[in-house]
Amino acid sequence: MSIEIRDVSKTFDSYRALSDINLIIQTGELVALLGPSGSGKTTLLRIIAGLETADQGSIIFDGEDNTKKSTQDRKVGFVFQHYALFKHMTVFENIAFGLRVRPSKFRPSKEAIKKKVHELLELVKMEELANRYPSQLSGGQRQRIALARALAVEPKVLLLDEPFGALDAKVRKDLRRWLRKLHDEYPITSVFVTHDQEEALDVADRVVILNQGKIEQIGTPEEVYDNPANPFVYNFLGNVNLFHGRIHNGKVELGLFGADSDGGQGKDIVSYTRPHDIEIKLEPEGKEFIGSRITFIRAVGPIVKIELVRLDNGQYIEAEISKETYRKLGLKERHTVYVRPKDFKVFIPEDYVI
Amino acid sequence: MAGSIPIQLKTDKEAAYAKKRAVKGSKLVPIVLTTIALLFFILMLIIPLISVFVKAFEQGANLYFASITDPIALKAIKLTLITIAITVPINTVFGLAAAWAIAKFKFKGKNLLITFIDLPFSISPVVAGLIFVLLFSTSHGLFAPLLNALGIKIIFAPPGIIIATIFVTLPFVARELIPLMEAQGTAEEEAALTLGASGWKTFWHITLPNIKWALLYGIMLTTARAAGEFGAVSVVSGHIRGLTNTVPLHVEILYNEYKFSAAFAVASLLTLIALVNLIVKNVAYSKMNRIHKAGEKKNVPEA
Repeated sequence: MSIEIRDVSKTFDSYRALSDINLIIQTGELVALLGPSGSGKTTLLRIIAGLETADQGSIIFDGEDNTKKSTQDRKVGFVFQHYALFKHMTVFENIAFGLRVRPSKFRPSKEAIKKKVHELLELVKMEELANRYPSQLSGGQRQRIALARALAVEPKVLLLDEPFGALDAKVRKDLRRWLRKLHDEYPITSVFVTHDQEEALDVADRVVILNQGKIEQIGTPEEVYDNPANPFVYNFLGNVNLFHGRIHNGKVELGLFGADSDGGQGKDIVSYTRPHDIEIKLEPEGKEFIGSRITFIRAVGPIVKIELVRLDNGQYIEAEISKETYRKLGLKERHTVYVRPKDFKVFIPEDYVI
Repeated sequence: MAGSIPIQLKTDKEAAYAKKRAVKGSKLVPIVLTTIALLFFILMLIIPLISVFVKAFEQGANLYFASITDPIALKAIKLTLITIAITVPINTVFGLAAAWAIAKFKFKGKNLLITFIDLPFSISPVVAGLIFVLLFSTSHGLFAPLLNALGIKIIFAPPGIIIATIFVTLPFVARELIPLMEAQGTAEEEAALTLGASGWKTFWHITLPNIKWALLYGIMLTTARAAGEFGAVSVVSGHIRGLTNTVPLHVEILYNEYKFSAAFAVASLLTLIALVNLIVKNVAYSKMNRIHKAGEKKNVPEA
């Protein structure tokens, strides 16, 4: 089922949580709503589920307006951040709940419910825990039961609110991979909320980046990472180095070096470079190299993280190089080296404010 | 460097002394506190409780049963039971509705509602009784013309007793439920809604099971107070024997007539309610904690 969000706005007291959100989610897509806390991502998810009502705008499922429908009529599966399992029910009863509360006309037989619950328990690999209570399960197990419970009613849409937010890093990664696999096997339209950019880029087909109630960018993980629409997205999707400069004669001048630009004569600009796009040399191999002193090296794993300070203006630079390059250069703390942004993106500060 | 050694020793000594003192203190303090609490408890609660029953049976079991099966006493017991039968359901429904509204919704005047729920606790029962006399008295009450025209008698009649009792016992259920429901939040209800459960089914299958023991305890407190309320009921009752006398008022009459054994015999019935209350409370709390404790013990690591 496709979801269309049209001109949705929501205000809490005087706080504007969402303004004019427009978004179309295609059938079978796995979409991440990504943003910092307070960006309105959870509010948007709750509006899709009908747990919150939008001040204006409409929610359309498969061309049918659902704005006025109540939560129980929308047939969405919702997975809560803190699981919201029914404490007084066993795992089996939790999963069966959505089927058991159906009006008798639509309610499956006892045997059919039992069969369905066991299928789902098998799916989440927890068959042996059917008679446990939620308080007897670990966080990861609880979240899998919450997912099985949401899937039991065969929803057309699956909504997940920070599904892995309360879990530790290892379990989080396992469940993330498992969710991706599940979605590949059962391609149900899914939307999940997260503040973890790694999680969003890792799992989603498309990522919607929200900030202060507005959509900053929509795109595939590659698109948003490689071509961020603005400084906010660039900043939010990973570590970044800033180089201030000016545009002069159609060239970007960042302190000591120049590069091509398509306009904005004489304007102050900021260029953004990811740590892995910083090149380090022992000698200045051109005028664009900036003399810097190494302040910190962390050489754990295949990527070596290096922190440097520019000699000309004392600005801080973060670089990531491969262990091989690191060994070849023989870098040490307090060494003076020369760095250059191999690749960067230029934003004109007047247009965007972080 | 040389100086640092004695300093080191001194701090070690001090640490050892502090440790010793702490261990000593940690043994003595609980013993003292427990003894004080127990002594006070025995003096103020257990001895009076026992004395009620001792006094009640002082002149033998025959007089005891004669006192509580006396026709006037039976009338008083009947009126008290009727009062309970009407008061408790009304205040249970009100308490549930108020707690539900306060804990699960945001609305204007919420704080006002919370304050007003506590009003019967902070007001003297005598004043509560007088309020209803001023409202419903057929001679000088605010609604006197209306009541006279309809021929309804509220003050010095059972309806007045019931209204006064409802007022006095209004907070108990709500007070038991509000903190619990606030702590539980709305996530489970929201989950039930997304699974297609109607509002009524959500209440019945999700909300009620989560609060049932607190609700039961609130109902028990309401019952005990409805049975035992003296002040407000005394003001509105008029003490008409066999007509507007509840059990506590009957106890007072017997006591004032120097029928001490009979007075304590009837009073022992009220005491029994208190004892039943204690048992229910214990059961309720152990049930409330049971599932959580079981969870802690059997908590399994990540599979």
